Amino acid sequence: MTRTTPIAAAASAIAAAAALPAAFMLAAASAAAAQTFALAAPIAEKPAFVTTVGQSADIEMVKVLLERAAVPHTANAQAKAADLAASGAKTLIVVLGGSTKGLGAAGISVDAELDRARALLAEAKRLKLTVIGVHVGGEARRGQLSDRFIQAAVPACQYVVAVAEGDKDGFISRLCGTAIPIDKVERTSRAVEPLKRAFR
Amino acid sequence: MPRPGACRRRPAIVSVPSAVAAALLLLLQARTPAQTPLNLYGRGASGANGVVAAAKPDASQAGIAILKMGGNAVDAAVATGFALGVLEPNASGIGGGGFMLIKLASMREAAVVDFRPTAPAAAAPDMFALDERGRPIGNASVEGGLASAVPGEVKGLLYALEHYGSGKLTRAQVIQPAVDWAERGIPVTANLAQIIKDNFAKLRKYEHGLAIYSVDGFPPEAGDTLVNTDLAATLRRIQAEGADAVYAGDIAARIVAEVRKRGGVLTLEDLATYQVKERKPVVGSYRGYTLIAAPPPSGGTHVLQLLNLAEQLGVAALPEQSAEAAHAWAEACKLVFADRTRYSADPDFVRVPVAGLVSKAYAKTLAALVRPDAVLPAPAPPGDPAKYESGSTTSYAVMDRDGNMVAVTKTINMFFGSGVVVPGTGIVMGDDMDDFEARPGSANSIQPGKRMLSSMSPTLVLDPQGRPFMALGSPGATRIIPTLAQVISNVVDRGMPIQAAINAPRLYQGRTGGVSIEGRYSINAYNGLVRLGHAVTVSPDYDPAYGGVHAVLLDREGKVLHGGADPRRDGQAAGY
Repeated sequence: MTRTTPIAAAASAIAAAAALPAAFMLAAASAAAAQTFALAAPIAEKPAFVTTVGQSADIEMVKVLLERAAVPHTANAQAKAADLAASGAKTLIVVLGGSTKGLGAAGISVDAELDRARALLAEAKRLKLTVIGVHVGGEARRGQLSDRFIQAAVPACQYVVAVAEGDKDGFISRLCGTAIPIDKVERTSRAVEPLKRAFR
Repeated sequence: MPRPGACRRRPAIVSVPSAVAAALLLLLQARTPAQTPLNLYGRGASGANGVVAAAKPDASQAGIAILKMGGNAVDAAVATGFALGVLEPNASGIGGGGFMLIKLASMREAAVVDFRPTAPAAAAPDMFALDERGRPIGNASVEGGLASAVPGEVKGLLYALEHYGSGKLTRAQVIQPAVDWAERGIPVTANLAQIIKDNFAKLRKYEHGLAIYSVDGFPPEAGDTLVNTDLAATLRRIQAEGADAVYAGDIAARIVAEVRKRGGVLTLEDLATYQVKERKPVVGSYRGYTLIAAPPPSGGTHVLQLLNLAEQLGVAALPEQSAEAAHAWAEACKLVFADRTRYSADPDFVRVPVAGLVSKAYAKTLAALVRPDAVLPAPAPPGDPAKYESGSTTSYAVMDRDGNMVAVTKTINMFFGSGVVVPGTGIVMGDDMDDFEARPGSANSIQPGKRMLSSMSPTLVLDPQGRPFMALGSPGATRIIPTLAQVISNVVDRGMPIQAAINAPRLYQGRTGGVSIEGRYSINAYNGLVRLGHAVTVSPDYDPAYGGVHAVLLDREGKVLHGGADPRRDGQAAGY
């Protein structure tokens, strides 16, 4: 259990550190609450199909995000292209980031996982599904292994949501460029709102 | 022999512009979550009066606070142990157990407090339904009620306090730091945040754990604080009532109810009859230094056996991180793990030939099997290495100015154990039943009341004059054994300061499969191993799978204790 709520915790932590007036901190908290989002209008239809690109355990967090965002979904970390059509989903959500442990547990090599991801993304394009990339693993889900998966998947996305810590170097933002809207949030739980807004 | 404590490190990697080197460097760049961010600084600490080296800085400080209050090394170790159960809840706690190795200055012989969990009375060799590959169906030995054995932690720590503590401090005093941290809240490090993320599915499945170790229903981020008032209340009960607070009465009833609700067979009788066992240590030597280790079902026998082989193979005379030295370690590991699988188990149920396993003569016969120009075959068909890959567990060491030495290794087995968290108590139940062989017919098969084989190997080292020199231990499943042997070799053979000995890249060779080396291992050793015919896997630079060694070393000349802590996890020593 925790005593903190995100905005209040941020405000109190900053206030404690800098000994700033409480009124200033309330304004800071309000500003955090008034975050703007990259999408002007929803782009995705329900239901969604969730898979990983890199076999990370982060898929569990994304499932909770979608529950909170009231997006009905099915999830299969090792889904094949054929599973996509059979699911009846209108949106594909790819959980970005690699895990050596996850790949090992699934018995999948890096190259095989990249092949699976490419086939799945190609099938999503053929089915005219919206593809949303989600990166919630932060800095730990970056590095040589993860970046290969991120690089392979992001260009196929129509929208990306990322925890800011995972994009401190702008790697994901650069892959999105100007063509793919991206929303960055400070912590995983804050990804509910942009995901909710992405769906009609 | 170089003087231990002297530093003569050499660059670990020699650049070789080849395809192999390029591929290796790519692998070296692959980072694992637990090393992000990696901080190599401030891990060690020194002090003239006492040093505690543990997996969390605040746990080390808890031990130091007890020493400053006049407690001895055992008092400090008990305080650190309870504090680790709060500060590192993924690795050890009330729902688990371990081994404590104690040598007070006044003791002629060290003592081993065995508080390893025990199979419930209703456990049976065939209690797990197995799939076609012989693995428990549905991960039942790892997750859920059947995975939980009878925990030993509270009885074990309090036994040590009662029998070997200074007697100057009360039970309430040594538990108080743990209570304070549970109430105040523990800092979530990058390492802990990632561990919770990796185990989020298990915590969700057994929802009481999620209620404690999440923020708004999601894994916490680094910098968050996790308060555990339920665990604080349980610890307060232990302060007031002793072990009975957990092994009898309402908390015991809640433990039994939750474990059985999740499919387990634990009973109130199992908890009430759990017994701490005091065992004689296994004693050996390495190049004039006396080694004192925990006997079966712990893994100390095999640390001694491995160092005997290293001695026979002349590792000390081989260049550091050379292919020759790496080959010797790898071959020795194969032989040791073959014996471990064949012979080791709970000595109360199975006769383990400990004296033979640690004898120099036996080591000589094994060493004769190792050839400098060929690779031994794996002595057994491929097994299920994933079973042994739990990187959880914790280990810590304490030494004080009086020459008292303590090394403790304890665990709930996998990170967050079985996932079963007893509501209202904050107790995470371990999944130590997974350390048994799930099939009947093995020395380590399940039997009621039996203790499962463990690699945990808290170890004490005396100098050639028989005086206190070093206390150490490590988590890391079977990797514990070669990891400890290599750290001891780094100190004794290479003269490394303790922190450098801990930081140095490690090698692992199991009973089957190929050699694994950490990323910073010498490229020459890599190439040499490959040329000899070893299958070599390169791990990340500081891979937590290779353990988390925490050690204290006495520099007699400088009259100071040095603590070393492992950057592969959140280790940090403290001293005064």
